[in-house]
Amino acid sequence: MIFSLILNYRKTLCSGLFFVVLVSFLFSESITSSHLAVLPIFEWMETTWFGVAGKTWGALFAVVQAGHLIGLGVLGGSVIASDGRLLGLFKGLPMRLVVDRCHSIFTWSLGLLVATGVFMACGVAIKIYYMPVYWYKMLALALGVLFVFFIRKPIVDRDLDKVSPWLLRLLALSSIMIWFTVAATGRWIGFS
Amino acid sequence: MNQLIYNAAVWLDNTEWSTRIHESYYLYNWIESTHVLTLMLSLGILFLIDMRMLGWAFADISANKLATRLNTPMLLGFVVMFVTGILLVYAVPVRSAQSVWFRIKIGLLIICAINALLFHRKMTASIGSWDFEPRAPKALRVGALISLITWSVIVICGRFIAYDWFDCNYPQSDLIRGIAGCIDGQTQF
Repeated sequence: MIFSLILNYRKTLCSGLFFVVLVSFLFSESITSSHLAVLPIFEWMETTWFGVAGKTWGALFAVVQAGHLIGLGVLGGSVIASDGRLLGLFKGLPMRLVVDRCHSIFTWSLGLLVATGVFMACGVAIKIYYMPVYWYKMLALALGVLFVFFIRKPIVDRDLDKVSPWLLRLLALSSIMIWFTVAATGRWIGFS
Repeated sequence: MNQLIYNAAVWLDNTEWSTRIHESYYLYNWIESTHVLTLMLSLGILFLIDMRMLGWAFADISANKLATRLNTPMLLGFVVMFVTGILLVYAVPVRSAQSVWFRIKIGLLIICAINALLFHRKMTASIGSWDFEPRAPKALRVGALISLITWSVIVICGRFIAYDWFDCNYPQSDLIRGIAGCIDGQTQF
């Protein structure tokens, strides 16, 4: 019984375990030395072409920021449409198709967000290095990516009629909350 | 006209709540954050519908059903964006009224509103004939493309408002002063 449960949900369990290890590490003593160890990476980021361009051309930085916002909008739209459908909203739309098509859009918009996010981070690398909220955002993003690809996706890839509606609702609510947290911490960086 | 806009902005700026919002670190940031985060509800869903019309996504889902079902959260998002947007302008009225980017943004918002009305009318008139086609008829595709482009430029303009490159309190060319509506000898910015 326990063995079959572990076998069926191995990706979910591995992701959960990885996240627990990550959070334990972040709140442990060793985080200070690790934080200092990654400083040279952030110093190097500012010297890259992205870093120099981001600092030199304010208009380019602002356009990339706008691209990041558009990516956020599309990612949020796909999350709301897909998770809204799992929650039982938007009745009449085929759940299987909505969830699958939204996942493709989600993946593309996540790619856009990461690409524009890396550019922006290079431009203000040292500044964000010292911001606790930047690390909160990275933690939330890591949780979001793990959740989507290793917990949510394997479950919604099954025959949705055979998955408990309560599990689907729990997945949808968790997904909305996680991605809202990622977006809110990102916004928080803006006014820190 | 610019003098009238300036006088109205100065009047708004002198009201108690404009000062309160502007000077409250948390209130202003909460309003601004709500404005930005609502992009996920308004623009995100609008782009999904536009992509369906263009055949870039959801090609195997009924266009009419998708647009109808997603319409309510999208409109809710736009209402929140509109209200928070007005509050943001109300908090900083003089600078906003004389911002090149804000003026371009308002112009584009008017274009978007007209485009949305025309789009809705054409969609209602033609829906039965192509509902399950991968792509909408040409007129609707053009409308969706206009929507995608103009809203993207609106986001860029919105981001540019935060920068002071073309503010009236710096020396500007006649073209910029004309578009921004800078007033000679103005006392407030």
